[in-house]
Amino acid sequence: MAAPDLRAELDSLLLQLFQDLEELEAKRAALNARVEEGWLSLSKARYSMGAKSVGPLQYASLMEPQVCVYTSEAQDGLQRFGLVRASAQTPEEVGPREAALRRRKGLTRTPEPESFPALRDPLNWFGILVPHSLRQAQASFREGLQLAADMATLQIRIDWGRSQLRGLQEKLKQLEPESA
Amino acid sequence: MLEGAEFYFNVDHGYLEGLVRGCKASLLTQQDYINLVQCETLEDVKIHLQTTDYGNFLANQTNPLTVSKIDMEMRKKLCREFEYFRNHSLEPLSTFFTYMTCSYMIDNVILLMNGALQKKSVKEILVKCHPLGRFTEMEAVNIAETPSDLFNAVLVETPLAPFFQDCMSENTLDELNIELLRNKLYKSYLEAFYKFCKNHGDVTAEIMCPILEFEADRRAFIITLNSFGTELSKDDRETLYPTCGKLYPEGLRLLAQAEDFDQMRRVADHYGVYKPLFEAVGDGSGGKTLEDVFYEREVQMNVLAFNRQFHYGVFYAYTKLKEQEMRNIVWIAECISQRHRTKINSYIPIL
Repeated sequence: MAAPDLRAELDSLLLQLFQDLEELEAKRAALNARVEEGWLSLSKARYSMGAKSVGPLQYASLMEPQVCVYTSEAQDGLQRFGLVRASAQTPEEVGPREAALRRRKGLTRTPEPESFPALRDPLNWFGILVPHSLRQAQASFREGLQLAADMATLQIRIDWGRSQLRGLQEKLKQLEPESA
Repeated sequence: MLEGAEFYFNVDHGYLEGLVRGCKASLLTQQDYINLVQCETLEDVKIHLQTTDYGNFLANQTNPLTVSKIDMEMRKKLCREFEYFRNHSLEPLSTFFTYMTCSYMIDNVILLMNGALQKKSVKEILVKCHPLGRFTEMEAVNIAETPSDLFNAVLVETPLAPFFQDCMSENTLDELNIELLRNKLYKSYLEAFYKFCKNHGDVTAEIMCPILEFEADRRAFIITLNSFGTELSKDDRETLYPTCGKLYPEGLRLLAQAEDFDQMRRVADHYGVYKPLFEAVGDGSGGKTLEDVFYEREVQMNVLAFNRQFHYGVFYAYTKLKEQEMRNIVWIAECISQRHRTKINSYIPIL
């Protein structure tokens, strides 16, 4: 491979890397802002509802996730992280589990399908009539989640970009002494 | 009831009124709040609070200092003062104090029931219960499945028993029903308290009745505001409004039909007391929220209660002002510990 082509490729890779880094920084700042906003809104909710009404007493120690992370392959062979609402998947899991229960216990357990309705909104852990600040907190944290997934994807791209860069730089070094 | 409390109030209650006025003088001043706002860490907050009437109340706390520890210790101090007042009181002031503790009891009952729903251990929740709302049957609350169960088995001997009139039902206690139970209990309690004050007459009624009317209307507004976008139906909502306020009956009927904030504002515009409050609400994230405006008005009314003598309202007002002070300190402490100082001045100054 000729040296100028290699250099051109190196340049474009470097530019792409810097663009990704800038995007990562911007997303990180946005995530920090969202998380800070979320925590402040929670404090505001505690101000109106009382400090013990918004705390670890309100949620169970074991909980079902509302949002799950999935990985997929993009065109350039890199991993991408995405978010999926868990409710889309639970109905399929009930079937085999129910059958397993039947086999173990020998009774027909019809209540099982009812215990997986639409997944309950975590907002309802704190009551039905929650103040606006709690809803704002939920919205901030949800936005932060999406940002976190994007940041993970970007991080993988940046690591891959750096390894590519190193590889190209090695090749260039090998070519330089030969042509010199 | 004979008017003229100035003739015989001091016989039974003069000592306690003097005491509560002394306690009121030790509330934090504007200068104290300015000092607190300038603190960088929670340790600085502790040092500043040592110079106030709080003294060394955090001396026994281990590191690291957290906001919830500060909150707990402040609450213990308030509780000690309240219990002292209560233990030295005579009738009818003792009944007045019992009425005051009922609201904390309702909160504790709901906390225990929610905890049972989330399968938390009773011990864990008892620690977080409000000390002023303690009653002996508390630990048994989590065994109840329905409101009727709760009443018959647990609460029939407590001061909360008379408030269960509208709440008896056989529905199992899930989140919606617990919320409905909480609000219905509170509505009965507020109406009973209002009747007690009104029947007592004299200066107490003149001071306490407007305060309780405001509390009832404020609850109606806040329930309406928080119910937008939830599964609570309009009819259910109307049954939760306390009827001892200025809004009863036409305002409450209009409020029950409201579907957004502007319609609520239009209902408030009919009442001279509430129109300026709604006008003070800023829109969006910049200005004050409706809850802030209501808290300010509550503080105003409670401070004015001290301008008259020979009534029980001073005890109620002092407790509420102290609670507002605790909320202020906790807010400032949270802003400091989260290093998010933009809204640190949103506390409500009292004196």
